[in-house]
Amino acid sequence: MKIKQFTNEKLGESVFCAVHPSGLEIRVLPKEDYDSAYAIFGVKYGSIDTAVKNDKGEFEGIPEGTAHFLEHKLFESEDLNAFERFAKTGASANAYTSFEKTAYLFKGSSKIDESLEILLDFVQNPFFTQQTVEKEQGIIGQEIRMYQDSPSWQVMFNLLRALYSVHPVRIDIAGTQDSIAKIDADLLYRLYNNFYNPANMVLCVVGGVDPQEIFDIVDRCIKSSEGKKCERKFEKESPLPVQGYVEERLSVAEKQFMLGFKEDISEPLLSLEDEIATSVMIDALTGRSSALFKRLIDEGLVDMGFGGELFNGFGYSCVMFGGTSKDPEKTAEIIKEEIKNAQTNGIDKAAFERSKRKAYGRFVMNYNDIDDTANLLMDMGFNGYEPFAELDACRNLTLEKVQERLAVLKEESAALSVISPIG
Amino acid sequence: MPKVSMLAEKVRLISVPSDKFKTGIISVSMALPLDERAAANALMLFLLKRSCKEYPDFSMLNGKLDELYGASVSAGIFKKGDAQVLTMNISSLDDRFALTDESIAEQSAELLAGMIFKPNCKSGSFGAENLALEKRLLIQQVEEEFNNKRTYSFNKCIGHMCQNEPFGRGKYGTVEEINAVKMADVYAAWKNMLSSAVFQITVVGSVQTEKVEKIFTSYFKKIDRTPENLETKFILKGGRFNRFEERQPVNQGKLVIGMRAGMSGSRDNIHAVTVMNDIFGRGTYSKLFTNVREKLSLAYYCNSRLISDKGIVAVEAGIDTDKEKKVTAEVLTQLTDLRNGKTEPEILEASKLSLKERHTFSTPEEIAAWYGSQIAEEEIFTPEQEVEGIEAVTMEQVCEAAKKLTIDTIFMLAAQPEEDAENED
Repeated sequence: MKIKQFTNEKLGESVFCAVHPSGLEIRVLPKEDYDSAYAIFGVKYGSIDTAVKNDKGEFEGIPEGTAHFLEHKLFESEDLNAFERFAKTGASANAYTSFEKTAYLFKGSSKIDESLEILLDFVQNPFFTQQTVEKEQGIIGQEIRMYQDSPSWQVMFNLLRALYSVHPVRIDIAGTQDSIAKIDADLLYRLYNNFYNPANMVLCVVGGVDPQEIFDIVDRCIKSSEGKKCERKFEKESPLPVQGYVEERLSVAEKQFMLGFKEDISEPLLSLEDEIATSVMIDALTGRSSALFKRLIDEGLVDMGFGGELFNGFGYSCVMFGGTSKDPEKTAEIIKEEIKNAQTNGIDKAAFERSKRKAYGRFVMNYNDIDDTANLLMDMGFNGYEPFAELDACRNLTLEKVQERLAVLKEESAALSVISPIG
Repeated sequence: MPKVSMLAEKVRLISVPSDKFKTGIISVSMALPLDERAAANALMLFLLKRSCKEYPDFSMLNGKLDELYGASVSAGIFKKGDAQVLTMNISSLDDRFALTDESIAEQSAELLAGMIFKPNCKSGSFGAENLALEKRLLIQQVEEEFNNKRTYSFNKCIGHMCQNEPFGRGKYGTVEEINAVKMADVYAAWKNMLSSAVFQITVVGSVQTEKVEKIFTSYFKKIDRTPENLETKFILKGGRFNRFEERQPVNQGKLVIGMRAGMSGSRDNIHAVTVMNDIFGRGTYSKLFTNVREKLSLAYYCNSRLISDKGIVAVEAGIDTDKEKKVTAEVLTQLTDLRNGKTEPEILEASKLSLKERHTFSTPEEIAAWYGSQIAEEEIFTPEQEVEGIEAVTMEQVCEAAKKLTIDTIFMLAAQPEEDAENED
């Protein structure tokens, strides 16, 4: 493996990158004075992957929630399960599934080599039986019920369903009781073999480790296979939402809302520069030092939890503002008014400078916690960016670029999701 | 070892210097007895966080934080046994990352101290509008506890279990108590905090401790201190068995089983109790995880939580409402096994290793929280000392600690279809 070193002098950090012959991308950031290490092994397979390409090159639909189901099942094996194996090294292991990826991880301070071998091994060795699949349907069924009672979860998914008509970002990460009932061991093996190949995966290790040792372990443990990257299908969405308003009643104390603006994208992914510019734009407009935040607080419309964010991935991009409010519709009107204002008069230069500084500081802070750093490296790896690219992009950000991103917030592309109390 | 110094009576400064982080944190914890003044204390803390004399407006204060490269101030409240602990932290980027020649750390320390000692307050008033706003926000926060059914059920169980102890109170007071707070109460709460609270200031990172020490000492010099003696009531055994049920239109039921751990103080038999709780229901190797979840697939989460400052262990599970008896029976079976030594030696080793990992911190925030949580203790333990204690625990001690667990209160949030709930009103 050819190892390439990227160094950021100001940050005082180096990342060692290599691509294994199987196609697996590896990124290691050693921190000499850290006792712990955090390793994350991710596969580009998330809840938005609701179709696989068959032998004829056609996309074929699969049940919702398979990526998440596989995440649960991979911990099992014919003899000791992954948790039992990590129990011997002391590392704490976990996994998560998001819209675009599934990631397996551990954090530990002793026997890191051994833990890494376990991580690479269990993810590469699936073992499912009909009986264990059925058992998991019960556990995941409870997980789905738990989220159905979570207002912050529901308000977001209701918004996504109001914004997107076909994109699978509109479906729940864990699927539904019905969709997971369709999953069996054969299907899991088929999907595993399709997605879990090294060319579709990234491994990142951050902390008290020696990069060369990590690369050696990978060499030893990755089954050499001819990897193939999995393709995703980009279907252009209508620029308009499915519906402008959606409401659900839950057992909550006060109304919660999320206002979303759907971006009309012609390419499946935003550039890094656009992502950062959008986040800075949102912060300048609605962050805690903004006039809008002050107005909403002063008028008694939101609480301190109010905030905005960019939410984007393959084939989708939207800006969301949300919080708790006694009057979500009025709050949404004020936000839209403020956006129009900024679109006419431009973003205040001082506000831009503050938000940019804040963004830069937060990017540097990502290199504090080995957990944040490893996740960041993995995301950058999946999107093909070089390490530290975000720091340069942030430093070079201009007010003009940020102004330009304001145009994304079109009134006709907006939808409002509200959760209101029962009774 | 961290450096410990006393800046005034019951004002302890703990400094953990390190240059391996990109940020530093200064954390100030202030402990007071948990009583009917909890609401006034909470409002006072959030008023301090909103603005200060130098930045008398929320937007200005946050503008300053943005300029300090996204420094963040957080204020929080937690219960520490029968005490209410108010915290104010500032996390900021190390000076070496500044794009211009300036000291972020020093400005951060000045800012935090200013927020605590020089509030935006004129002749005993924080401003009627500001107080009204904080009341609204705090009431909303208390009411929102209802939204997270897991936390809600846990708090309900503790509330019933400790109804005759200060610990049974909510950390922010009740909605009624918050509504009743007057400006004079808030001002008195601030004065009282400065003179009577037990303080601990924890500094982690490359921040120069001497500068922090100097800034805070100069403020304390002007204050006449008569600090509180913080005491917590420990109940060794559960009394008459109580079960409470509430029905709500939710999808998943929540079961909470509150137990007394037989501890007579926050450090009584602490290492054995910690390992016992870990094996019972914390780790993925624990009895509750491997049986209630993995073997019987009755729950997505089923775990036990130790509140050492109060000698309580609580089991929590998200379940189908009609499975309550089955889950409770299984929890008790697992407890019996734990008491009778039916635990593989490997599990004890796994637990010790895992607990050791949990005491290996890799962020300034984690280190500050570790020391901050010892505010009410005379003697400070380092994570290493804690790990030593844990490593010495034997299986017999685990069994003995498990034998001391007694059920006190069960709380069940039962799922009820929406139509039924509406018909009841």
